[in-house]
Amino acid sequence: MSAQPSIRDFLYEPPGPRARRRITAATVVSAAAVAAGLALVVRQFAVTGQLDARYWSFFARATTWRFLGQGLAGTVKAALAAGALTFCMGLLLMLGRISRFRPLQAVSRVLIEFSRGVPTLLFIYFFFLAAPQLGLKLSAFWKVAVPVALSAAGMVAEVLRSGVNAVPRGQTEAALSLGMRDGSVFFKIVFPQALRSVVPALISELVIVLKDTTFAYVVNYADLMQNAKVLISNYDALLSVYLVVAVIYILINYAVNKLAEAAARRTAPAGKEPLHGTDTRN
Amino acid sequence: MDISTLLTQFGDKYWLALLTTWQLTVISFAGALVLGVLLTVCRVAPVMPLRWVGDFYVQIFRNIPGAALLILLVYALPYLKVVLPYKTCVLTATTLIPAAFCSEYLMAGMNTVGKGQIEAARSLGMTFPQILKNVVMPQALRSSVLPLTNLLVATMLTTALASQVPLNPTDLTGLVSYINTHAVGGVTAFFISAVLYCGTAVVIGQLGSWLDRKVRLQR
Amino acid sequence: MAQTPVIELRHIQKHFGTLHVLKDINLSVAQGEVVVIIGPSGSGKSTLCRTINRLETIDSGEILIDGAALPQEGRELARLRAQVGMVFQSFNLFAHKTVLDNVTIGPMDVLKTPKQQAREEAMTLLRRVGVDTQAAKLPAQLSGGQQQRVAIARALAMHPKAILFDEPTSALDPEMIGEVLEVMTRLAREGMTMVVVTHEMGFARKVADRVVFMDSGEILEQNTPEEFFTHPQTKRAQDFLDSILKH
Repeated sequence: MSAQPSIRDFLYEPPGPRARRRITAATVVSAAAVAAGLALVVRQFAVTGQLDARYWSFFARATTWRFLGQGLAGTVKAALAAGALTFCMGLLLMLGRISRFRPLQAVSRVLIEFSRGVPTLLFIYFFFLAAPQLGLKLSAFWKVAVPVALSAAGMVAEVLRSGVNAVPRGQTEAALSLGMRDGSVFFKIVFPQALRSVVPALISELVIVLKDTTFAYVVNYADLMQNAKVLISNYDALLSVYLVVAVIYILINYAVNKLAEAAARRTAPAGKEPLHGTDTRN
Repeated sequence: MDISTLLTQFGDKYWLALLTTWQLTVISFAGALVLGVLLTVCRVAPVMPLRWVGDFYVQIFRNIPGAALLILLVYALPYLKVVLPYKTCVLTATTLIPAAFCSEYLMAGMNTVGKGQIEAARSLGMTFPQILKNVVMPQALRSSVLPLTNLLVATMLTTALASQVPLNPTDLTGLVSYINTHAVGGVTAFFISAVLYCGTAVVIGQLGSWLDRKVRLQR
Repeated sequence: MAQTPVIELRHIQKHFGTLHVLKDINLSVAQGEVVVIIGPSGSGKSTLCRTINRLETIDSGEILIDGAALPQEGRELARLRAQVGMVFQSFNLFAHKTVLDNVTIGPMDVLKTPKQQAREEAMTLLRRVGVDTQAAKLPAQLSGGQQQRVAIARALAMHPKAILFDEPTSALDPEMIGEVLEVMTRLAREGMTMVVVTHEMGFARKVADRVVFMDSGEILEQNTPEEFFTHPQTKRAQDFLDSILKH
C-alpha cells in the first residue's frame, strides 16, 4: 500500500518453477473460491427477492440522495464539532499531564484513563439519561458531540503527549539559552513541532469520532443513520438502505484514513518512521 | 441514589454485567486473534486473490462503524433468511472489527523484522517454516504486545454494543440504561459501570506494559 | 588443477526490468582461493555475489557449488545454502537472539548439531573473532565492528565450503574497519575459500589471490593483485583505480 518495502515483498523467496506452479494453482483455486462465495451471496439476495427493483430503484431518485446527503451533513457536522471539542479537551488534558504541578498531573492522568477506558455508548447514555436529571439540558446535537468528544479526548491527549515527547530536548535547551521563558518555549518552539508530527494521528482520530457519531440514533439526532431509517420506512427497504449507508461510512472513513497516510508521508522525512498514535479504538 | 442503596439493590446485577462484559471481551478478542492471524497469512501470501480478500476485509472492517455493522447483522441479515441470535450478532460484530485491526498490527510487527534478517536466515540454509519460527514470528509477536494490549481494551469498549440488543444477563452499558429506565439511578449508576470498565482497562494496560517491558527489543 | 571449483558461474545473465545488470558472467573459484570483486558502485558486483546463494535470481546461466547445480527452491536449495556462508553489509544479526544464540541457531536448527556441542563450537569461534566476552548480549548492544565479527562467526559455525562477503565493511565507522578486515585476513590465511565484494583496496592487494574487476554488469579483468594494481589492462579499470587513489 505504501511505497516502503513491506514484508509482503520479501517474506517469500522469488519462486522457482515448482513454487510458481503451486502459486498458480493456489491463485486459480482461491479465485474460484472467492467467485463461488460471491455467487452464493448474490444468489441469496436473489432468492430472497432482495435484488428486486423496488428495493433499489429509489436510489436513482435525486430526493433519496438529497435526503441521505442531509443526514450525512448532520453526521459530518456532529463529527467536526466533536473533533474540535476533542482537540481542545485533549490539549488541556495533555497540558495537565505534562505539568510540573503534581496534583494537576495526577488528576489529568485519572481523567485520561477514564476517557480511554469507558465506552462511548456509556458516555452517550450518561448525557441522554443522567445529565437531564442533573438539570443539564443539551440539544440532540450536543448530546452526540459532547460524549463522543469526551471518549476520544484521552486518546488525543496521549497522541499530543507522544508528539511533545518526540521533540528533541536540544530544541528546548536552545530556546532557553536565547533567554525565552518556559511558557513561550513550550508554545512557540516545542508545541508547534509536536503538533506537526502528530497531524496524521489526529486525522485518523477523526475516523474514530466519525464512527462514534453513529450512536446518534440513541438521542434522536438526525444523522446519516437516522435519515436512513426514514428512507427505510418510506420505501420498506431495510437491507438495501442500510447496506448503502454502511458503504457510505466505509468510503468516508477510508478517505480520511488515506488523508492521514498522505499527511504521514508529508510530515515524516524519507526513511523515518512516522509517529503513529496508539489509537486502537475501533 | 447513593452507592450503597444502588449496590444492595443492583449489586448482583452489576457483578453479572461485569462478567458478561468480560466474557464478550474474551471471546471476541480470542476470535479476533485467530481471524487476524488468518487474514495476515492471506495478506502476505504470494497468491493475489488471497491478498485482495485480506486487504479488502481489513479496509471494510477498519472503517465500518460498530453500530452500522450490528444493525446489518441484527436487522438486515434476516431479510436474507439468515437469523442469528442476538448474542451471536454482538459477538460477530465485536470479533470482525477487532480482527481487522489485529491484522494491521501483526503486519506492522512483521515489518519490523526487515529483509536483511530474513536473507541472513536463508543464507544459513533455513527453510521457510524455520525462518518463520526462528526469526519472523518471535520478533513480530514482541513488537505486537503493546498494540494488541490496546486492542484488547478497544475490544472491551466495543462490546458495549451489546447494550443495543436485548440480552440476559446484559452487559455493563446495558445494565445502566436498564437501571435508569426502571429506577432513577442517576449519576452513580453510570459511575459504577464506568469504574468497572476503566478498572479493567487499567489492569489490562498494566499487564500489557509489564509484558512489553519484558520482551521489547532494543534496536 | 583438475580439482572441481568450489564455486562456478557459467554465462550468468540477469536483468532488473530493462537494466542489464549481469552480462554473461563466467567465474570460478577454486578451493582455498580468495577472490576479491571490485568495481564502481552499480557495477553489479553485489548482485553477482548474491546470486551465488540465490538471494538474487538469475535469468539464465548455471551456478555450480562444488560441482552440483544450485537448486532453484525448496529443501535442496536450503541444503546448498547451508554450505555457503554469507556476511552482509548491514550485519543482519537476529535482533531478538543473544550473540551466542545467533551463532548456534544455524548449527542447531539446520545441521541438527546437539546443543552442547553447538555452544562449545560457538564459543570457540567467538573467541577466534574476539567477541567471546559479549556472548550473552543482544546485537543492538554491540558496536558495528563487533556485530560484523559475530556475523562472521555465525557463518563459520556452519562449516561452510566458502564464505561470501557482500561489502562487509561499508556500513562500519572507519575505526572499526580494521578489526573486521583483520579477522577476514586471518580466515584467508587459514585457507578459507572466500568471495569478497569490497571497496577496501588495501585488503584486495594484500589478501586476494585474484582480483576481479567489474563495470556495468561485466567482468572486464581478472588478474593477480600485483598485476591488476600495477598494470590494469582496460581503460575503465585504469580510470577506476585513478579515481580511488585520488582520494
